[in-house]
Amino acid sequence: MKKYLGPLSKDNPVLVQTLGVCSALAVTAQLKPAVVMALSVTVVCACSNLIISLMRNTIPPRVRIIVQLLVVSFFVILVDQVLQAVLYDVSKMLSVFVGLIITNCIIMGRLEAFALSHKPLPSLIDGVMNGLGYGLVLVVVAFFRELLGSGTLWNHPVVPQSWYAAGYMNNGLMILPPMALILVGVMIWAKGGDKSS
Amino acid sequence: MKNFSNKYIFLYISALVILIAVVLSVVSIGLKPLREANVQAEKCQQILYAAGYHDVDRKQSVVLFSKVAEKMQGADNQEVYRIRCADGVDGYAFSLEGKGLWGPIWGYAVTNIDGTILKGVAFDHKSETPGLGAKITEEDFLNSFKGKCLYDKDGRFVSVRVLKPGTSNDVDAENRVDAISGATLTSKGVDNMLMEGLQNIKK
Repeated sequence: MKKYLGPLSKDNPVLVQTLGVCSALAVTAQLKPAVVMALSVTVVCACSNLIISLMRNTIPPRVRIIVQLLVVSFFVILVDQVLQAVLYDVSKMLSVFVGLIITNCIIMGRLEAFALSHKPLPSLIDGVMNGLGYGLVLVVVAFFRELLGSGTLWNHPVVPQSWYAAGYMNNGLMILPPMALILVGVMIWAKGGDKSS
Repeated sequence: MKNFSNKYIFLYISALVILIAVVLSVVSIGLKPLREANVQAEKCQQILYAAGYHDVDRKQSVVLFSKVAEKMQGADNQEVYRIRCADGVDGYAFSLEGKGLWGPIWGYAVTNIDGTILKGVAFDHKSETPGLGAKITEEDFLNSFKGKCLYDKDGRFVSVRVLKPGTSNDVDAENRVDAISGATLTSKGVDNMLMEGLQNIKK
């Protein structure tokens, strides 16, 4: 079981492997889109890992990347369509970023590095764990960006009005993409200090 | 490693592509009524919001909309509705279309029956940046349009401008609202959209 927990910390896809950083910058201005994005990536990563693992012995190595892309885009379009029909508000909030899950290197990375050479069940767990590892970073970054940038969490104001009256101001830089990069950078730096890995 | 023949590879990929295409088409067609109902209901909800009916559930909005609004003949492709606003007074709702920073933005503006004063607006966008351009859909920004004049003191049509605070001081306070800081281009898009969408009122 322990090897599956790697993505959450020691082998985190964003902090250690520095994959999927671009979307981590784009959807983390607020907590809610970040959480939905994390869940969507987890679903896509887990499902495509499972399917590729089931197909692994039939996939010709020369066209494996094409097959992986097909499977990933199939799930991404499926997620997008279902969100539009059932969770319309959420799908609007994520807009283009759902489609961009296809380009998330974590998913292709896991298919290539894990699903092609492992049995279905371990692949499924690996996909879920990597999605969650990615989501964890998203949520932490979004928490600080929304709290310090907008003074809200999950769209509820948390900074008391009296603070604003006393001269406290939201940090406008926090909601801009560069600050996301700095926050992710700080997290990577802090992570790198872990000598035990 | 197994050796795969070219024929196998070709058939394998073809079969996979066809399978995926069929499944996705079926899903897409199957979910189409749900998706379209969502879009339609949201449109009703937005027009109602601009007319002062806040907090209307999306499901109820279609019913309420059919009660209070009546479609009118609009210029070009513009949708125009005569609508009984939440305050009980009739007004006109105009559809608006424009360009944001990353993609289309659109919305509805409700004016009084003379077409001189904005009673309310509702905006939406496809892909503006969350926390910046996406703020055009937030209540504070939308409320700032309420009661603004579309004509200046001399009776000329000037629309309602979206301008950075402290700039273009020749525009009167009742003809302008504050742009969103950090979202200059999206604000400009809203500015253009209002100018283009509301100029037909003159007639």
